[in-house]
Amino acid sequence: MKRKLSIFLLTLAMFGGLLAGCGGGDEKAADPAPTEQGTQNKTDDSKKTDDTAKTDDTAKTDDDKKDDAAATDQNDGLFPASDPASSPAAAMNRKDTLIVGMTAPKGIFNPFYGETAYDQYVIKTLFSSFLEVQKDGTYANSLADKVDVSPDGLKYTYHLKPGVKYSDGTPVTVKDYVFALKVFLDSSYDGPSDLLSLKIKGGQEYHDGKAKDISGVKVIDDNTVEVTVLEPQAMTKNDLGTVYLVPEAYYGKGYKQGNTESIKALNNKPIGSGQYVLTKYAPGQEVDLTANPNYFKGAPKIKNVVFKTTTEETKMAMLQSGETDMDMVTVSEDNVEELISYGFLDVNIFPTNGYGYIQFNHKLKKFQDLKVRQALVYGLNRAEIVEGVYGKYADVINIPQSKVSWAYTDENIEKYEFNLDKAKQLLDEAGWKVGSDGIREKDGEKLKINFSATADNSVVNAIIPIMTQNYKELGIALTSETLDFNAIMDKKDKGDYEMFFAAWGLTPDPDTTIFITNGAQNEMGYSNKKVDELMLKAKVELDQNKRKELYKELYQELNRDLPMIFMYQRRDMWPINARVKGFDLSPYKDFSYGLYNVELPQ
Amino acid sequence: MKQYIIRRLLQMIPTLIGISIIVFAISSLVPGDYITAQNNPNMTQEKAQQLREIYGLDKPAVQRYFIWIGNMLTGNMGDSLVHKEPVTSVMNNYVWNSFIIAFFSLLLAWIIAIFAGVFSAKFQYSFFDKIVTLLVFLFMSLPSFFLGLLLIKTLSLELKLFPVGGMTTAGLNAEGWAYILDVLKHAVLPIIVLTMLSTGSLTRYFRTSMLEVIHMDYIRTARAKGLHERVVIFKHALRNAMLPAITLLGFELPSLFGGAIILEKIFIWPGVGQVYLESISMRDYPFMLGFTIFIALLTLLGNLLSDVLYGVADPRIRLK
Amino acid sequence: MSVIDVAKTDPTAGKAIKAPASPWSMALRRFTRNKLALIGFIILVIMFVVCFFGPLFSPYELEDYKISMKNKPPSAEHWLGTDNLGRDILLRVMLAGRISLLVGLISTTISVIVGATMGSIAGFYGRVADTVIMRITDIFMAMPTLPILIILGAVLSDLKVDPKYRIFFLMLIIGILGWTTMARLVRGQILSLREMEYMQAVDALGIRDRRKIFRHLLPNTVPIIIVAATLSVAGAILYESVLSYLGIGVVPPTPSWGNMISAANNMIDFRKRPWLWIPPGMCILITVVAINLIGDGLRDALDPKTKK
Repeated sequence: MKRKLSIFLLTLAMFGGLLAGCGGGDEKAADPAPTEQGTQNKTDDSKKTDDTAKTDDTAKTDDDKKDDAAATDQNDGLFPASDPASSPAAAMNRKDTLIVGMTAPKGIFNPFYGETAYDQYVIKTLFSSFLEVQKDGTYANSLADKVDVSPDGLKYTYHLKPGVKYSDGTPVTVKDYVFALKVFLDSSYDGPSDLLSLKIKGGQEYHDGKAKDISGVKVIDDNTVEVTVLEPQAMTKNDLGTVYLVPEAYYGKGYKQGNTESIKALNNKPIGSGQYVLTKYAPGQEVDLTANPNYFKGAPKIKNVVFKTTTEETKMAMLQSGETDMDMVTVSEDNVEELISYGFLDVNIFPTNGYGYIQFNHKLKKFQDLKVRQALVYGLNRAEIVEGVYGKYADVINIPQSKVSWAYTDENIEKYEFNLDKAKQLLDEAGWKVGSDGIREKDGEKLKINFSATADNSVVNAIIPIMTQNYKELGIALTSETLDFNAIMDKKDKGDYEMFFAAWGLTPDPDTTIFITNGAQNEMGYSNKKVDELMLKAKVELDQNKRKELYKELYQELNRDLPMIFMYQRRDMWPINARVKGFDLSPYKDFSYGLYNVELPQ
Repeated sequence: MKQYIIRRLLQMIPTLIGISIIVFAISSLVPGDYITAQNNPNMTQEKAQQLREIYGLDKPAVQRYFIWIGNMLTGNMGDSLVHKEPVTSVMNNYVWNSFIIAFFSLLLAWIIAIFAGVFSAKFQYSFFDKIVTLLVFLFMSLPSFFLGLLLIKTLSLELKLFPVGGMTTAGLNAEGWAYILDVLKHAVLPIIVLTMLSTGSLTRYFRTSMLEVIHMDYIRTARAKGLHERVVIFKHALRNAMLPAITLLGFELPSLFGGAIILEKIFIWPGVGQVYLESISMRDYPFMLGFTIFIALLTLLGNLLSDVLYGVADPRIRLK
Repeated sequence: MSVIDVAKTDPTAGKAIKAPASPWSMALRRFTRNKLALIGFIILVIMFVVCFFGPLFSPYELEDYKISMKNKPPSAEHWLGTDNLGRDILLRVMLAGRISLLVGLISTTISVIVGATMGSIAGFYGRVADTVIMRITDIFMAMPTLPILIILGAVLSDLKVDPKYRIFFLMLIIGILGWTTMARLVRGQILSLREMEYMQAVDALGIRDRRKIFRHLLPNTVPIIIVAATLSVAGAILYESVLSYLGIGVVPPTPSWGNMISAANNMIDFRKRPWLWIPPGMCILITVVAINLIGDGLRDALDPKTKK
């Protein structure tokens, strides 16, 4: 029997030994921040599927954000490699191939149907459109020589560059553009884009099958097309201009109005006029691309590009071993420090295009009182939540807009810094008095809040403990539950919730339906006449400077009225092996647009 | 025996119908659908409505069930909403990758477990037995991702023996033997981890049932007859200790094709486990339902297989 | 029948056809005499005591956090270090133990009871009973676990069940989903045992079925049940963290061993901060080993063939 007990002790000893083996040599820094698992991205990254859909005209650059970043506090911009020569042999030996690590695309390399951001990356290398987004979020001509817009904003004329060919050698004409519009407007089209909302003249009739052609689209010659819309909108020019041109002769072979099946069948056999040509797709493994020598902006400098599947768990190890050259890694103090320590990575960090928020159910009486909403914001230590999860690589926000957007403003914006006394005072003023059990009550009703959040999310794991403690001090009884993401979305649709946390992506253009009374995405039941009015005005205004003023006023109103608790905007991080030169990334222009310019100097 | 198998196969029909009803009911009770799962901040109500019509999500559940089951009977599992291609071809793309690592680790795990279990039992409380017991408990208490991370850290990053992840070297485009070698090189680490995980419990089962058998009278008789110890242990004892193992073997059939989610994530193995998990979180019902039924079928076959094998291992068992 | 009586008749217990003492009461006596099993039992009791009463002596509370103290290694102030919100790991490990021990033991108990009963009925009676029970296990085994759990999470939320109590449903669910393995294992054993010679003897004696199953068949399947149960305790404790991932496990800030470990499932915490995952990992290991010691003791005690 003693022998058996010794097994037990030996087991414990082994376990300890394992820990010594793992910790060995790495126990220097014990300070840095937490880590994040991939799930948060569900609401944040992979949802931003279609950033080609909404666009805008002018923008300010994000350069001015970098001035104040002292070397030690830098939380933005480029962290250059300290020792490029230490790059692993596996990477250095790949002379003509760039390997980009990313989440597996679904193999839908079809501009009509690609949904995830990763399929979009592939699509952006294979196809081109009249206009293309720039680093600052504005749009410039790509396939178009010039674009004319009528003064009333109803007629858009796109002039195609002459002599451009698809990778199969056939010439690109504006007829292909008309074909693409038809597919998007077809009644059987079930992809992610929504061109009907642009209100092209005759578009609805084509969709309903009442017309054989779209009356508002006129082919003037092989290189000129004119599109007429029914109402002017600020984004129409860019939305129409970022439709990808595909060869009608190839994609349109089996297409009949009302049946797009034949186009779907070509999902993984793409032909376009983009920088690269697809050579191989191995599901869940890799996408192989080879340079299109006839690319109209000049042949790409790197012959082969491979998009290799990686996962949150081991993408940093893949970079370290040289199996990938670049990847997008979730930002955190730990991860930044780790990647910089490799020495051979240029680490690019910039604000992500999205934000986290806590939504109120405005149909509930307690949240209809502005003072209560304000108290809930003042009384929540958002700075600590951000610090706990992202360290310095995220900011607390007070308006629903990215700080690098042209529409961003910090003029007259209340910061709602953590202030329990103020929060208590506001609740007192609102009539919620502390009861005998320490819980506030009003008209016999206790101030109880039920908070729902996605399960297994590092942000939620920080919000709940901090919120529980903060609100307890305010005299609010908070119960929290964590649920599957879709279960929360379902509760949101049904209106069966009190408060929930989520995060979502922003489009380059600030127009949205989230805050409009009865807006498509306004399930929270928020209604504010002033907001409705400003939103509508800004949507149809074509003058950029006037729009900017309107949005400033709008954000000031949202900041005052607090339809939701605005939480944080975090950073995106792209570590790139220093052997790769020529990337020019920004929150709006991802790596796939400029691939043809990138090189691997020997 | 033949009659028994035929009867069991016939019984599978009502069982499968029952499973299909329950599974479908579950899928329609799950909150949210493919449209809500996308959480597209710009999708209009009209667009969402239109998509639901195209996908047939607006029809009542009962009607959808009959459409689905009708298609299933003709071999049409429908198109995956996420992958926009037939469910069968999505499965075909990923299932075999899962099969490779599952198959090799099954072989390894059973071989190791039989030997470790038998010797643990034969030399109960010996040093060998202690080490085996200890490792089993260790692997049981450590989640697979720690084993995976440990191997990646030591064997891949420090010793550079194996690649960190993936199934092939990116951009290599090898063919023939070179391709097979490349895949095997990538498969080593996931196979090791999967083997470690499944060997532990198997060893315990083998050890226990061997301990049972080894003290039986007929083993003593066999030894008394002067049979070689190896024959006694591996022929007479092991065969009778196999019963629980046979039950477990039946469970292995679905797991050969089911994928291993955590492992696939750590080693970036393009297996079906992740795809299935995603189909659940994206509410990709055609794939989720199709794959569930596929695995259900394998489960039924696996259980049938183990019932048949009972009779082979122990002829006294009469299956009726 | 008293313990002393059994002790007297013990030497003849193994070979007699008319058993002089109930195998169960013999087992109890054997078990209490098995020091190793007792040690396992004591370890388990200590785990329970520490987890349930330890937090009362901690200077920290469940809801305490201190961002400025995040990710500190063990120190005099925090014996086992702190996590990413500056919370005391020691306190969290103890609080987590309350959940994890209960989840592991209760769900295993459920699956053992249901599984052993169903398995022995199916194995013993065969024919219709076997067909029906085995087809039920087939159906259970074919059920897609994750979607069911997602529904359960949503339903509990819709019914406004207090998140604190959802954990009990969780134990139930893990138990219910786990009984099929047990049932098939037990049935397989009984199919074979039923054909043994001693059972013919038992048949000849005309003993009632219930007695046959509980006195003559089930005790022989105990070794396999013990193994399955030991494995299932560890499995359930780790599985709980998977369920938390789907939102029907424990709700933060309440910890469990499983979710403490899975919060550290990345290369950096793994390498640099072993204090995050070693304490909960150790606890699971100790629990599993203790249960196994008890299990071995139980097996020796219950095995009719051992003649100690």
